Amino acid sequence: MSTAPQATVTTPLPEPSSRAARFRRRQGWLAGVALLLAALVFWRSSQIPVFGLFEIRGIVAGTMTLALLAMAQTIIVISGGIDLSVGAMMVLVNCIAARFMLEQDLGPVVLVAVLCVAVAMVLSGLIGAVTVASGVPDIVVTLAASFVLSGLALIVLDGPGGGTHLRFQELVVGGFDQPLPAILWLTAVIALVWLPFKRSRHGIALYAVGSDRAAAFLSGVRVGRTRVVAYVMAGFYSGLAGVVTTAFTGSGEPRASIGATATLTSVAAVVLGGVNLMGGSGTLLGPVLAAFCLSLIPALMLGLGWDPNYAEVARGVIVIVVVMVGGLVQIPRRSR
Amino acid sequence: MTVATADPAITRWRQALVDRPAIVLAGVLAVLYIVTGLVAPGLFSANGVRSTLLLACPLAILAASQTLCMLTGGIDLSTVMTANFAAYVAANQSGQGPLVALALAAAVGLAVGTVNGIGVGVFKVNPLIMTLGMASVLLGVVTVGLVGDGFLSGSTRLLEVVTTVASGTLIGPIPNNVIVWAVVAGALIFGLSRTGLGRMIYAVGDNPIACRLAGVRIWQVLLAVYVASALLAALGGLLFSGISGSVGPDQTNAYLLPSVAAAVIGGTSILGGVGGYTGTILGALILTVLNRLLLTLDTTEAFRQILYGLIVLALAWVYVRVTGQRGA
Repeated sequence: MSTAPQATVTTPLPEPSSRAARFRRRQGWLAGVALLLAALVFWRSSQIPVFGLFEIRGIVAGTMTLALLAMAQTIIVISGGIDLSVGAMMVLVNCIAARFMLEQDLGPVVLVAVLCVAVAMVLSGLIGAVTVASGVPDIVVTLAASFVLSGLALIVLDGPGGGTHLRFQELVVGGFDQPLPAILWLTAVIALVWLPFKRSRHGIALYAVGSDRAAAFLSGVRVGRTRVVAYVMAGFYSGLAGVVTTAFTGSGEPRASIGATATLTSVAAVVLGGVNLMGGSGTLLGPVLAAFCLSLIPALMLGLGWDPNYAEVARGVIVIVVVMVGGLVQIPRRSR
Repeated sequence: MTVATADPAITRWRQALVDRPAIVLAGVLAVLYIVTGLVAPGLFSANGVRSTLLLACPLAILAASQTLCMLTGGIDLSTVMTANFAAYVAANQSGQGPLVALALAAAVGLAVGTVNGIGVGVFKVNPLIMTLGMASVLLGVVTVGLVGDGFLSGSTRLLEVVTTVASGTLIGPIPNNVIVWAVVAGALIFGLSRTGLGRMIYAVGDNPIACRLAGVRIWQVLLAVYVASALLAALGGLLFSGISGSVGPDQTNAYLLPSVAAAVIGGTSILGGVGGYTGTILGALILTVLNRLLLTLDTTEAFRQILYGLIVLALAWVYVRVTGQRGA
């Protein structure tokens, strides 16, 4: 009687994931948004006879504010929170800058710009400190803060007005057909401010706190301080957004609804940019690209001969659909 | 915390306040009312009481929709846009008779609520994002409808029934809209504490995973909550239009923070599972009296806005401190 050959069970070693799979997992969303942006820019360029430096400058300069606000919102979202006051902060800084830059030389104007950003960092840090110290949910604190900030904006400037230096405008957002300054500034605030911050102790703590607050605390991360630092960083970016608004429009406008709309759009850019609202992951590049996509929509609609007011509808629908698709992907995993 | 070292009498007193936050709130309301009355003596008259109730009603109804959503751990940032839209539709279509116009306003609420509820309940979209996106969509729809020969263009006339219910006087210092408010309050307080759905709303907000394991169909609960929220928003919008005597595409927008604040001050946790409508009623009254106080102070709009934001924050802070109910 012959014995049957013994069945051998071999457990295969886990294959190292391929380079492509890793890229898809880590940067897939970012690549998708970049492709979408490229498609939208191509579409826009086919709508108009000449797509030159003038058009590019218009798009980049017009989106800079939203891109900066999206960065501010992203940092707070990564830390596991949400900030409904970034738009109001932008409006306040816009008013301060426009008021004190009026009829000044270039030197003082630049000084005012720097001071404005510093003020925004202090105020935003204060909001963060109140959130941490009080234990009141951040939605409530920042919603109340947005009231306070728009009130302050009305005190600084009681109506549209103020001004800035022409040379300063060219330096920040570029001249008539000069997109380079705006592109350089956006690159600089990511490469020279965000990336070093992300690699620093504070940056790593930011991701840790956003990912799991209790675990971060137990590993010795100072949770409160990290959250305040996140708000200070957000203040840096929303303050810059205010300065850029002043440079772009050449005036100040204290209307509170501008801030509210800007806040909503910044959240939309964060969501579309692939940043997880639960916190703990994400980069600034995705929301910046998403901000460009969102601000191209009205121009595209105008080009199609539609009422650009539909852009508001389109933005809302895009945000909801994007999050729904994200939710659908997660449903099978959750019910397991 | 210092509680541990405090003497037992204070601890017990504090515990009583934690158990019954309505007492604290009623005290705050009484003090605030007296202070405001001393600055503006008109408040103590029958007319003063009437105007307080009249103005608190729409806020309390909008805050009711916020309370429901917050109990499930969500929030409804599309409330005010729903209110604007519903009130505008009702006034715009008033030529077709009050029944059709009111039905259309309710249809707006139903549609918004269904979409919100499906998004949050079935597709698990973060409520903040879902309702924010919905607000954006509604803003766009209203703006497009208003320009040129859009579907909302044409004259607007308030329905008589809306004006009567929203701004008429029932008896003495009691305005008519208090009846609507009382019905809503009764339904919510009874419904939340005594019905299966009401208890499920708390349960879902408290621990959705446990709910799912216990066999609760969470999406149905959320759908019901967001539909009720949007219907309440439409009702609040109609009442507000009756008081202001006009409709506008953004007329209740200033109520967004107060509606959330009224629920938070009233003890409803934004994280879900804790709170109720009784506190929200008191929160709405406190905010209305506070607004009156700020109006009597001879200051600019800017300064009033700053004070309002700071006081709302301070009240929320004190509340969290007293009850030890810390947020995220």
